[in-house]
Amino acid sequence: MKTGVLLYCFDTPELNYHRLAERCVEQIRKYLKLEITIVTNLETFKKFRPLGMINYKLVENSTTNTRPYRGKSVAWYNKERALAYEHSPYDTTILMDCDYFVFSSTLLELANTKFDMMLHDRVHDLTGKNMILGKDESTLPLVWATVTLFKKTENTKAIFSMIRHVQEYYPHYKNLYRIRYINYRNDYAFAIALHQLNLGNCIPTPMTMLADSVDVIDSDGDGIVFKHGDDVMFTSGQDVHVMDKEWCNG
Amino acid sequence: MDIGNIKKHSDLNFEVAQAKKNALEKMRSRQLMAYNERLFTADANTMNLVSTLKQHNKDFYVLDVNDNPCHIKDPDDFLNKLIERNQETLNSYQQLHQDLANKRK
Repeated sequence: MKTGVLLYCFDTPELNYHRLAERCVEQIRKYLKLEITIVTNLETFKKFRPLGMINYKLVENSTTNTRPYRGKSVAWYNKERALAYEHSPYDTTILMDCDYFVFSSTLLELANTKFDMMLHDRVHDLTGKNMILGKDESTLPLVWATVTLFKKTENTKAIFSMIRHVQEYYPHYKNLYRIRYINYRNDYAFAIALHQLNLGNCIPTPMTMLADSVDVIDSDGDGIVFKHGDDVMFTSGQDVHVMDKEWCNG
Repeated sequence: MDIGNIKKHSDLNFEVAQAKKNALEKMRSRQLMAYNERLFTADANTMNLVSTLKQHNKDFYVLDVNDNPCHIKDPDDFLNKLIERNQETLNSYQQLHQDLANKRK
């Protein structure tokens, strides 16, 4: 049984996601020591510095989505993730956003258990200011697709087929579940698919996160230092989803 | 104490309380442990349960964090692994707790 990490990475006119992916790969190598596959487009692929043994899968990505980021509307190329079942060469896949940084081996523990699909259903804001979740965002039990572990089973195949269906008819499902967020978001598509199929396990501990208004000001292989307002704090030995997309730009 | 000092005191307390919350989340996350392809938390509840059941039976079933049954065939091995992980995470938490206590002095 082969376990590996699958990353999706597409640079946009505003943001250099490949820089985040490069850092993400370093952390995966240090703590998980797993094979890595990056799904990207040719334009982004050319910008990657040599990363050693990585599998690249080049695709032509959809460019129709946007998202709010630090007061602006920016391009968001997030629709290819619905094809992760087909794109993954692994029996057990850790599908991860390239802005999720591992500083522990916790994901290995999760990968070594029996499940079809496993993801977070809760978050922990490291600043303590609860900036991540809004109120009454939908009538749906929300999950976070940032880190999704899945095995190649019939159940998982059905989940990804459902995700693609939800993506195709997103306006309908958005109305059905009274989702406030305007644009297509994988978190909702995954949550809808799992709700419709009554499948999926939740990771028992919340995903630690830093909102996009938090700046990462320093980091090393063990952790990061972040700043929000006048508060400077740090985290180490703890996996973290960083929504500041520019901290790896140097 | 003037209002400036009270604010400083309050800011420090907020910072320490948040650092403690973050460290506890880290500890709980590190306590997740795979055993026989099931997922467990190496916390006091699991250790107590295994310790109690092993006094009555050589092997037994327990529920994992997702309520799936797991056959424990070697309770001593399982309990040792739980204790090892539990103490590893608590040692790490204790160090941070000590740092925070020093910060408050």
